[in-house]
Amino acid sequence: MSNTKFILGVYEDEDILLSAITNIRTAGVKIHEVYSPFPVHGIDDVLGYKRSKLSIVAFLFGVLGTSLALTMQIGMMGVDWPMIIGGKDFIPYPSFVPVIFELTVLLAAYGMCFTFFIVSDLKPWAKPRIFDFRITDDKHVMAIDLDQNKIDVAKIDQILKDNGASEVNKKTFDEA
Amino acid sequence: MKETKKYWKGLEQLQKTPGFEKYANKEFAQELPLGDSDGETSRRDFLKVMGFGVAAASLAACETPIKKAIPYVKKPVNVDPTIANYFASTYSSGSDQTSVVVKTREGRPIKIEGNKLSSVTGGGTSAQIEASVLSLYDQERLKGPAAQGKGVSWEELDANIKSELATASGPIYLVTNSLSSPSTRKVIEGFKNKYASLSHVTYDQNSVSGQLDANLTVFGKRALPSYDYSKAKTIVSFGYDFLGTGVNTPLANKQFAESRRLSASKKEMSRLYSFESILSLTGANADYRTPIRASEQGAYITSLYNVIAKETGGQVIDGLPSIDNQILSKSANDLLHAKGSSIVVSGSNDANIQMFVNAINIMLGNIGATIDFERHQNIRSGDDKAFGQFVKQLSSAGGVIFYNCNPVYDHPLGSKIAASLKNISFSVATTDRMDETNSLVSYLAPDNHYLEAWNDFEPVHGKYSLSQPAISNLFNTRQVQDSLLSWADVGVNYYDFLRINWAENLASLGKKSILDFDAFWEKCLHDGVFELETVSTDEIDADLSGLGKAAFNITKPSSFLELIIFENGTVGNGIQSNNPWLQEMSDPITKACWDNYLTISPKQVEEWGIELGDMTTQMVNLTVNDQSLKLPVLPQPGQRYGTVGLAIGYGRSVAGKVGNQVGFNAYPMINVDEGGQLDFNIYANVTVEPTDEVYAIAQTQTHHTFMGRGNVIQEATLSEYQKDPQAGRHMPKIATSEGFKKPTAVSLWKGHQYANHHWGLMIDLNSCTGCGTCSIACQTENNISVIGKKEVLNRRDMAWIRIDRYYSSDSNGDSYADMEIAAENPEVTFQPMMCQHCNNASCETVCPVAATTHSSEGLNQMTYNRCIGTRYCANNCPYKVRRFNWFKFHDNEQFGDNLAMNNDLGKMVLNPDVTVRSRGVIEKCSFCVQRIQAGKLEAKKEGRRPVDGEITTACATSCPSEALVFGDMKDPKSRISKMLQIKSMEKGVEAQEPRAYHVLEELREMPNVWYLTKIRNKDEKKEAANAHS
Amino acid sequence: MSSESVIREPLITGGKTVHDVTEDISRRVEEKPTKLWMLAMTISLGLLAIGAYTVFLLLWEGIGMWGLNKTVGWAWDITNFVWWVGIGHAGTLISAILLLFRQRWRMSINRAAEAMTIFAVICALQFPILHTGRPWLAIYWMFPLPNTFGSLWVNFNSPLLWDVFAISTYFLVSLIFWYIGLIPDFATIRDRAKNKISKSIYGALSFGWDGAAKTWSRYETVALVLAGLATPLVLSVHTIVSMDFATSVIPGWHTTIFPPYFVAGAIFSGFAMVLTLMIVTRKVYKLEDYITIQHLEMMNIVIIITGSIVGVAYLTELFIAWYSGVEAEQYAFLNRATGPYWWAYAAMMTCNVVSPQLFWFKKIRTNIAATFVLSIVVNIGMWFERFVIIVTSLHRDFLPSSWAMFYPTFVDVGVYVFTFGLFFTCFFLFAKFFPVINMAEVKSIIKTTGEKAK
Repeated sequence: MSNTKFILGVYEDEDILLSAITNIRTAGVKIHEVYSPFPVHGIDDVLGYKRSKLSIVAFLFGVLGTSLALTMQIGMMGVDWPMIIGGKDFIPYPSFVPVIFELTVLLAAYGMCFTFFIVSDLKPWAKPRIFDFRITDDKHVMAIDLDQNKIDVAKIDQILKDNGASEVNKKTFDEA
Repeated sequence: MKETKKYWKGLEQLQKTPGFEKYANKEFAQELPLGDSDGETSRRDFLKVMGFGVAAASLAACETPIKKAIPYVKKPVNVDPTIANYFASTYSSGSDQTSVVVKTREGRPIKIEGNKLSSVTGGGTSAQIEASVLSLYDQERLKGPAAQGKGVSWEELDANIKSELATASGPIYLVTNSLSSPSTRKVIEGFKNKYASLSHVTYDQNSVSGQLDANLTVFGKRALPSYDYSKAKTIVSFGYDFLGTGVNTPLANKQFAESRRLSASKKEMSRLYSFESILSLTGANADYRTPIRASEQGAYITSLYNVIAKETGGQVIDGLPSIDNQILSKSANDLLHAKGSSIVVSGSNDANIQMFVNAINIMLGNIGATIDFERHQNIRSGDDKAFGQFVKQLSSAGGVIFYNCNPVYDHPLGSKIAASLKNISFSVATTDRMDETNSLVSYLAPDNHYLEAWNDFEPVHGKYSLSQPAISNLFNTRQVQDSLLSWADVGVNYYDFLRINWAENLASLGKKSILDFDAFWEKCLHDGVFELETVSTDEIDADLSGLGKAAFNITKPSSFLELIIFENGTVGNGIQSNNPWLQEMSDPITKACWDNYLTISPKQVEEWGIELGDMTTQMVNLTVNDQSLKLPVLPQPGQRYGTVGLAIGYGRSVAGKVGNQVGFNAYPMINVDEGGQLDFNIYANVTVEPTDEVYAIAQTQTHHTFMGRGNVIQEATLSEYQKDPQAGRHMPKIATSEGFKKPTAVSLWKGHQYANHHWGLMIDLNSCTGCGTCSIACQTENNISVIGKKEVLNRRDMAWIRIDRYYSSDSNGDSYADMEIAAENPEVTFQPMMCQHCNNASCETVCPVAATTHSSEGLNQMTYNRCIGTRYCANNCPYKVRRFNWFKFHDNEQFGDNLAMNNDLGKMVLNPDVTVRSRGVIEKCSFCVQRIQAGKLEAKKEGRRPVDGEITTACATSCPSEALVFGDMKDPKSRISKMLQIKSMEKGVEAQEPRAYHVLEELREMPNVWYLTKIRNKDEKKEAANAHS
Repeated sequence: MSSESVIREPLITGGKTVHDVTEDISRRVEEKPTKLWMLAMTISLGLLAIGAYTVFLLLWEGIGMWGLNKTVGWAWDITNFVWWVGIGHAGTLISAILLLFRQRWRMSINRAAEAMTIFAVICALQFPILHTGRPWLAIYWMFPLPNTFGSLWVNFNSPLLWDVFAISTYFLVSLIFWYIGLIPDFATIRDRAKNKISKSIYGALSFGWDGAAKTWSRYETVALVLAGLATPLVLSVHTIVSMDFATSVIPGWHTTIFPPYFVAGAIFSGFAMVLTLMIVTRKVYKLEDYITIQHLEMMNIVIIITGSIVGVAYLTELFIAWYSGVEAEQYAFLNRATGPYWWAYAAMMTCNVVSPQLFWFKKIRTNIAATFVLSIVVNIGMWFERFVIIVTSLHRDFLPSSWAMFYPTFVDVGVYVFTFGLFFTCFFLFAKFFPVINMAEVKSIIKTTGEKAK
């Protein structure tokens, strides 16, 4: 039965938040994560997050879709059971274009989205840690994990206040 | 120490009796009947019997025909499951008798086809003949004899009738249609001898009594001659529809088509003039058609007579109303140029007019050349006057026997007959179903259907045709001849009577070729026909003395509204009214079905203020003397203004659930004079008052002109054709980067080569007379649903092969609105249209589930059980030949008219080789793929390639004019390859015949159906438009 | 980051704070259904029931219950199909293309627009199934599934099959696009939820969203890429639908101009439908501050443009028909305008080409009543466009012998009504239980484009 303690800095305004993040990180405090009600532009830079690779995933799935569509159509029309249809060739490539395109898009989109769900641990039965119910309303919350920071609580508390946090709370999650 | 147990098969073994030893190590105690050990029933016999037994069990009547019947093709008489047997027989309905071949499967007749050996029919059929097989399986047929409305046994019935005959006070009448059967006539003779008070009266629904009388006075022979239209260069018809509904139309069509067929070697064709009031099939095929009033016919004929007489030095009769008509003089001119090779005919039932027609033919030397009185026809012998007498005396008769006829309905004096029947105690009828007549008689002795009967016929003098049962009696009926024989106590059944009669009278004639009678008999049964090369005949001397007198009894042209009563090409005279195939067949001219109607000229439409909608029209009150009817009108281009037409064969009250109350009965309107002479044209006291009642007439085609579309109908005149064989051809070119190219030269695809066969169909628009026989043949062969009037009104007719009928328009083509209006006296073009089996079919491409694909023999195949019914193929078919199953048409009481699919009896007619289509799938012409497969199988069994002609479609076989030719275009010796001069390309084939074209060629569907341009024997185009005065 | 100029009209009016946004939108989901909503729901369920009866008749008796015949094999069925698909274009178009173009005004309307898209496509999908003769087979034979018919596959030459792929792909992609947008808002509702049930339901719907910056950044990438994929998809769908006609041989169908012309028409009708619904929703839910006159005006401008494109297409068709020199083509188009179905052609021309031109007047395009009326007129016009293309082309094609008229039956009408019932039932359920405006997105622009910012 371990339990994790967090110090939470609550912010009202995204611009204050952004500068706060920079300062706090330079002060050597490790930020566990920042939670916001809407995407804050540039926050990943200041938090030092790398650009997401999901677009590459999408591309790869797209390639998969293309080849799948092509092999399926050639296999079905030209190999498994060739039939004379409208005097066309057994493998009428021009007719294949629409399905190739659609399957490419379909696999790219779904491949990417499901990867996103998995890496971000999004699933209907997920039990998220909710630091503050106002996160999904209008408050930005900066969570600092005490175990990760060897600085004492009061100090962190002070840094947050200095950097425009409207309030500072503590939250403990008991993980069975 | 254990001893081995021993088991014996029984005490015998234990005691080792010799009897046991003998069979000890045989599995079976008896010899197995391996191989055909004759005498004993063998294993194979057992299988045969089983196969046959299974069929027999499944059907009410499946045994081999009672007496020894010889199948048409070399097959055992035994029924082999899935193998069709063909029996030669003879179709007989009313006064018509035609040699046919009956196709049976598992003992069930399922298809009627023409007998190619018969020179009487020329091997063709007609719609009525094709459809007649369904009436065999009609639930409305009588199930057995009845007396005073109660079912009795034949013995009882015979006893009653004999006593009645013996005790009858007053004359007894035997009423029949024309009987061409020698043996039957012999039976009747015997019957007369037995009962002296019996007299025999004959009538025909569409009586030619007047012509017979005229022939009697002129040629001393009360009979119809045989015509040979194929020999005629010029044919002039005055209201006689020899192609549509005349006597023996199959032959007329064949001969006429022969005279029209053109080829590189034969660039001449006959010319047909028609002077008529209604637009008949003959008129529609005429090169020069002149609409005239019925009352003018006499005047036209007499003035033609005078012209001819003047030129040929005949006796000119003055004081006759003379007609000045350029077409008439043109025809006279042509006739004089074609002496001995022309025919003049008239449909009039007036002896006086027919006298003149005979006179003209005599002066032109046609008698003995194109008109043959030696080989006279026996299928019309009705005598109007005699019949009139009979009707007068009927009320005082001692009894009457109606032999397979229904005069109460189909004779204008029917109502009188019905009235008199009430006070006749003894009356018998032998028709095989309830009708207007036998519902009034005291005894019913139902006859067999002709497919269950033995009989012989002599439709043409010296040309015999035999009838043999293709199935044994379905019901407790008895052949009418057998009835007569037993009532006359002859003590021999008709089959023996027949054989004896043939042995005595005919075998001798046939001796030359055949040694003993049995062989002769079997040969005749096998062929179905027996035709004498020559006939003994007495010299014919023409006597024209009566002309002068006749001249003045001819009706003079009048100006009253005239009514023309005619027979149409579908239900005909009404005997087969309960046949849904015929009821739903669209009329060759009006394209209407399930109705008759008053045809009126478009001019009259405005005059009477008739409001026409899409398929809707108005009712009018038609009154003729004391008769009156309320019936719809149908505007008919080509109908002479001031005349109206009405078809017989409709308005039956006791025909069965299909035929009852369909249309309106025209028979009572026929004019009968004092002497009983019938006249189908009514010149006076005809009045029509329009009502504002709206009525819907179901037509399968509602747009009547072809909008000047040269890619659909391609036609030229004979002179143009003689100059340039490609005259009238429409040759589209496609603009490409390398300039203009033929549509076939432009393609994205490599195309496919057909390795083995490449089936094709050629349709000669010049030979096709538009009779529509093919559509019924197709319906029979391919189990096509009947959907009823309501659904036809919804434009959902299911025909796989339809005949598009186009009228010309007077428009010069600058306004589409004008082009939609048919000319007042239009040129008519018939175009049979069925699946074109395109090699680049647009329907195949669009089917999402590949339910329609192309075979390796060029067929466009429809896979019913894969079809999901998107109807995309039907939309994308430029020929609009694909049909959708909008509802479940089979086993569905909503479509009770679909007799062939809604009761167990009717279902016997279904072709087991063709699926009955389920709801929601598309269907269409398959080029009779089941016939192709059967033919290929036959050839394969004999290890050869199919011979040209052994594989052909139902439409092509039935076509009396041989306008449709089916065959393998890969076989250079095939008829189609020769006629089209097929050249095999590395992609598909190409026809070199200059007249051959594809409909909608520019779409590059590359059909396997080829059309030959329509050529009219006219001196200049569009003469018809300004011909009428 | 935001380069929003101060002069531009604020997109969100009424001095809304981020918290107000949460309040205004979530309240609708949390409060009891209003009388008005109940009434609307009853009506749409009524339509659904009536329609369902005719659908039953159709399935029980057969396609013969419709007015179709041997010549006109498609009429109301495919007309309605194309019409609904067309409507289904606006949503994804708005969220995808406008996202790529960084058009922020989209934010307050895209949620509802996407919902509309999805429901419209659901309605459209009824017809490909119902119009077949044997729907019980069509429903799965249309797909290339392994089977026991000797592995009989589908025909990839058939535009109908392309449709199957195009429509289903479009539906699935739009669905996930829409759903991903919903996740953060579901989370909002989850966190505000009072009772256990809605807490657990919205909890599940929100996939355990916690608003972490990391997730947000992935979320943004996903949204962007999806938009990139959806944009060509939107254009492809109606292109492929138009190929049903363009690749056929029937005069009036066989036209290379169809793809662009159909896409323009689709956007045209889609925006019209969005307008119709938006105007109602903003009134009922008092969302005037989120969906402002400016939004409506923007959309009206799109309608003028697409409407004019469609108009040009009509004229081009006529010109090409004349120029082609192909008789059947020339007749087909003359027959459209002057034949027995002239009234349909006239309706199409007035509703689609003439009436939208009124939007050139600022007074009209900023007038809510006028916009509402015209948006409906446009959709009537677009229905007639499809009717004209399908029926007048088929009823008189190549062989005059087969020319016929088409008369609809009550079942034709009934099945159309059925889809209306279906559409509005879905839409009202959505409007009640889902946040009708994308809160997260709107919040992100409050600061920059809300009135406070000025």
